Amino acid sequence: MECWGRMLRAFLSGPGRRGGAWGSAYSSWRPHRPVPGLLNATELVSHWTAIFEKEGIPEAQESSEYIVAHVLGAKTFQSLRPVLWTQPLTPWQLQCIQELSSCRLQRMPVQYILGEWDFRGLSLKMAPPVFIPRPETEELVEWVLEEVAQRPRAVGAQGGPLILEVGCGSGAISLSLLSQLPQSQVIAVDKGEASICLTRENAQRLRLQDRIWIVPFDVTLEGSWAHLLSWGPMDLVVSNPPYVFHQDMEQLAPEILRRPRPREGSCLVQDEEWKQPCGDTHDLEAGSQWDPLSTRGTAGYEDLAALDGGEKGMDIITHILTLAPRLLKDSGSIFLEVDPRHPELVGGWLQSRPDLSLDLVAVRKDFCGRPRFLHIRRSGPQHGCPAHAWPGPQPARVPG
Amino acid sequence: MSASGFLRFPAPLTRRCMVPWGLRLREMPALLSPGTAVTPAQMAGRKDRPALLSLDESELEEQFVKGHGPGGQATNKTSNCVVLKHIPSGLVVKCHQTRSVDQNRKLARKILQEKVDVFYNGENSLVYKDKREAEKKKQERKKRAKETLEKKKRLKELWESSKSVQGERSADSD
Repeated sequence: MECWGRMLRAFLSGPGRRGGAWGSAYSSWRPHRPVPGLLNATELVSHWTAIFEKEGIPEAQESSEYIVAHVLGAKTFQSLRPVLWTQPLTPWQLQCIQELSSCRLQRMPVQYILGEWDFRGLSLKMAPPVFIPRPETEELVEWVLEEVAQRPRAVGAQGGPLILEVGCGSGAISLSLLSQLPQSQVIAVDKGEASICLTRENAQRLRLQDRIWIVPFDVTLEGSWAHLLSWGPMDLVVSNPPYVFHQDMEQLAPEILRRPRPREGSCLVQDEEWKQPCGDTHDLEAGSQWDPLSTRGTAGYEDLAALDGGEKGMDIITHILTLAPRLLKDSGSIFLEVDPRHPELVGGWLQSRPDLSLDLVAVRKDFCGRPRFLHIRRSGPQHGCPAHAWPGPQPARVPG
Repeated sequence: MSASGFLRFPAPLTRRCMVPWGLRLREMPALLSPGTAVTPAQMAGRKDRPALLSLDESELEEQFVKGHGPGGQATNKTSNCVVLKHIPSGLVVKCHQTRSVDQNRKLARKILQEKVDVFYNGENSLVYKDKREAEKKKQERKKRAKETLEKKKRLKELWESSKSVQGERSADSD
């Protein structure tokens, strides 16, 4: 019992025992109440919330709740079986919570700490530096689903619709569309190797790999799009492209910007690790285990290239809109998530480019009431380039 | 803030949500997404019931975490709690069951819909009716199980007594 009490005190003293900057701050810290009361989940949440608040960590309570719930096997604190709220935790559980919480103290996003997050009810693996899906984007998918339901389409041999996602990241948009549209097929592209790997892994976890083709592709590189034509004309292009105005990048929270200093102990950074290839697609062992505490695998937090849209946040958007008419069927649609200032900017830009034959048909607000989503439609065949005449025979479709 | 920004958010949750309290979360998207057709399987067994009172979006007030900042890519928030109020009745539902805002919104509507039903219909609400029916079925099952057990008992007694009769006969036949 004596030893157990000492162990508890050590756990409660925050990350100090790992040394580094935290040690001095917490070496004299004492728990609020005398140990040996064994701590339960509710008490632990209060404990870590207080520490996070003291250190200026945003969403102190939410972070604490997610970490504790995760260690107890639930996705949210509210969904935990109530009996677990008041049961004492095991030393192993306490240690896990301690270690995950120390990552939070370094401003690591909760989604990377847990190694997973949900998007429209799908559980997706998360790993830096791949962009973490934002809650607003769930509504982009909702809109696409509504539109697809409303427009009857000619069902070809492979059903449909055929969707291109530009900048797939973790695969959130593509995989949620695939799971809701059983006849659909998706071509998911991204310029980041880590995104390609992670989307592939998430597709396999969700058993959707047979209807998705995941292809490395940089939409800003001229001429690299030709091979996308081999899949035939597409019904939809969907994207949550980098759209932050470059000048706003500095103001982003440390969760997004910060690169933790390499140091001993938890949340280590090895910049080079993520540049290595992710391994064979079938070899889940090699690429799959993201441990926030391991020394390999994390070069800072999110990839800033997934956010930075250039001067007016328009760089990637304009490239997508330039490319889309070459890939879309007549009356095919583009759905984009954008910055609230973009509806006007995009509208103006499209008017300056009548050669693209694209119309901004609708703007939709997000759950905070900000204009966030655009529906742009291709208005018919381009001059001298009928959409149905694709160069060359179509190769056999091989999922990969 | 009002819910008026969500023009086409979940269609009335009428005949698609007739499942008991213990519904599995992963079934939610299929049931509630307005874009998904309701399959015959989902409708089965519910045709004899009147529809659950549907919620009018214009009577709802929805609130999310305050201080969401610029939102979108510029923010990474994990607080997905949804607070949904039904203005006419004043009923409020707070939902943080899932890690997905989208799912919490749908769940909140489902829970609120049932609460509103109980509020206005009391004993006659579908929730109560479902509970009574479930209880009734449970009692019937118990009764049947008891009857089956008694039958088996009687059969066993019969068999054992016939055995002993045979035993006497063979002893007699010598």
